[in-house]
Amino acid sequence: MSTTRAAAVPRSLPHWRWHWQSPGLARPLNWLSVKAGALLLPAALLLLWHTAVTREWVSAQILPPPELVLQTFLDLARSGDLWFELSISLQRVLIGSLLGGLVGLALGLLMGLSRQVEAYLWPLFQAIAQVPVLGWIPLLMMLVGIDEGLKYLVIAKAVLVPMTINTFAGIRNIPASYLEVAQVYRFNLVQRLHRVILPAALPSIFTGVRFALTKGWIALVTVELLASSEGIGYLMVDGRQMFQLDLVIVSMLVIGLVGLLLDKGLALIETRLQRWQRQAF
Amino acid sequence: MSKTDFLTLKGVDKRFAVKDGELSVLENISLNIRQGEFISIVGGSGCGKSTLLRLLVGLEEASAGHLLLDGEPIRGTDPERGIVFQDHRLYPWLSVEDNVLLALANSPLSPAERLDTVHRHLELVGLKNFTRAYPAQLSGGMSQRVAIARGLVNRPKILLLDEPFGALDALTRAQLQEELARIWLAEGITTVLVTHDVDEAVLLGDRVVVMEPRPGRIKRIVEIDPPHPRRREDYRLAELRNDILQDFSQHQASPLLHPQHEQRAFRSYAMAW
Repeated sequence: MSTTRAAAVPRSLPHWRWHWQSPGLARPLNWLSVKAGALLLPAALLLLWHTAVTREWVSAQILPPPELVLQTFLDLARSGDLWFELSISLQRVLIGSLLGGLVGLALGLLMGLSRQVEAYLWPLFQAIAQVPVLGWIPLLMMLVGIDEGLKYLVIAKAVLVPMTINTFAGIRNIPASYLEVAQVYRFNLVQRLHRVILPAALPSIFTGVRFALTKGWIALVTVELLASSEGIGYLMVDGRQMFQLDLVIVSMLVIGLVGLLLDKGLALIETRLQRWQRQAF
Repeated sequence: MSKTDFLTLKGVDKRFAVKDGELSVLENISLNIRQGEFISIVGGSGCGKSTLLRLLVGLEEASAGHLLLDGEPIRGTDPERGIVFQDHRLYPWLSVEDNVLLALANSPLSPAERLDTVHRHLELVGLKNFTRAYPAQLSGGMSQRVAIARGLVNRPKILLLDEPFGALDALTRAQLQEELARIWLAEGITTVLVTHDVDEAVLLGDRVVVMEPRPGRIKRIVEIDPPHPRRREDYRLAELRNDILQDFSQHQASPLLHPQHEQRAFRSYAMAW
């Protein structure tokens, strides 16, 4: 039942995937090749960047040297500016995601549980989902202005779509046999939800949460680039306007790293919640 | 001492709506089952034996006729009728213990009594050391033992088994058949087993109900006289098995198709030449 879940793939299907192991290499080296492999490409890019600047392939004003970017990062971190902007952004993502996540969860549950609700909501929902976040911003700006409300709404919309779809799919794909067992023991609606429907849909819902948070983080940066005077996206706009490309690159790196950390954190919670998927013996 | 009409089926029909009209799956099924009896229902695929069991569980409703358990009509599902499906249907997110415990979700017992009952039943099926394991960690045979414990834990009036060992390998199947015979003797519970395995039906049943397909009907009921506990290699059992198997080979010798279908089949055969 976990086949549709990307997160479960590395655990359940390790054998057929290509994993090069040289018989000549010592075990620690093999370990290193897997664990440190993720860092190889970033290191190569860094080297390319460094070379491009020192050989003056690109002007240093357009592509500042890595040392300067690091220095800017350290300055921003020490002065606290970075953490301030980041906390503002994270707060926006938290509120927007809670809003969109809860509504998405409720929509997915209702559509999953009732064919009538599905018939009423699903076509409209699909139409709304087809319009990307960016396409919603002009209208929303007119309606709610460019204050915090706009950010929350834009993030909520980005989060809502994957939350709804994955919750809905998770419930719709519950095997009928599971529900027959619930019927045999005469579960009421609460027991059905608590003991069968939610646990059975949980892997899919969690996939939705992870997708949603990634989408929400991207939407945040988008909306902060367009309309904000604070936040990590604004830091990037600020850097571009002042032609401080080091600031732009620091912002990009921080955005990427925070997004990665959010996803990793959720993956960790996911494995904790779903210990039963672990195979033993 | 035991009632002869504990579980009664009277003129039971079951029809399903299909694209063009109705499909008759069961026709005029009448059967009286004694309290404490082990009944095997055997038949090929399409004879409606699983549908019959689903009627008894209450997952389907009969189109006509009556089903009575202990004088009460069967309406919907009820914990007084325990079921073991062919696929064990354990919830993978619950431990063995919790899977059995959930069958007591609406039981009047106190939490401590529930847990105690669950442990006694897991011990009965030989799994008391696996209470904390998850279904993914169990073999097929072990999972089916848990399903049997779950089917029994409510102390039902009847236990219904829908090809419970059909998905298991031959060795595990033989082992579980003996376990089931032991449990049935110990518990004295009225049991209805649906199977396509004639050996299994004869080994376990007090009587074997032989069904024929399209629409599903009772062909005959065979009394299995050797007393319990039985030995698999009992000569009399082999004799009875061969007798029942003959029913099925006769089936194949005389075509099941209606005369008009038969003709059509013959014609198309001729055209192929």
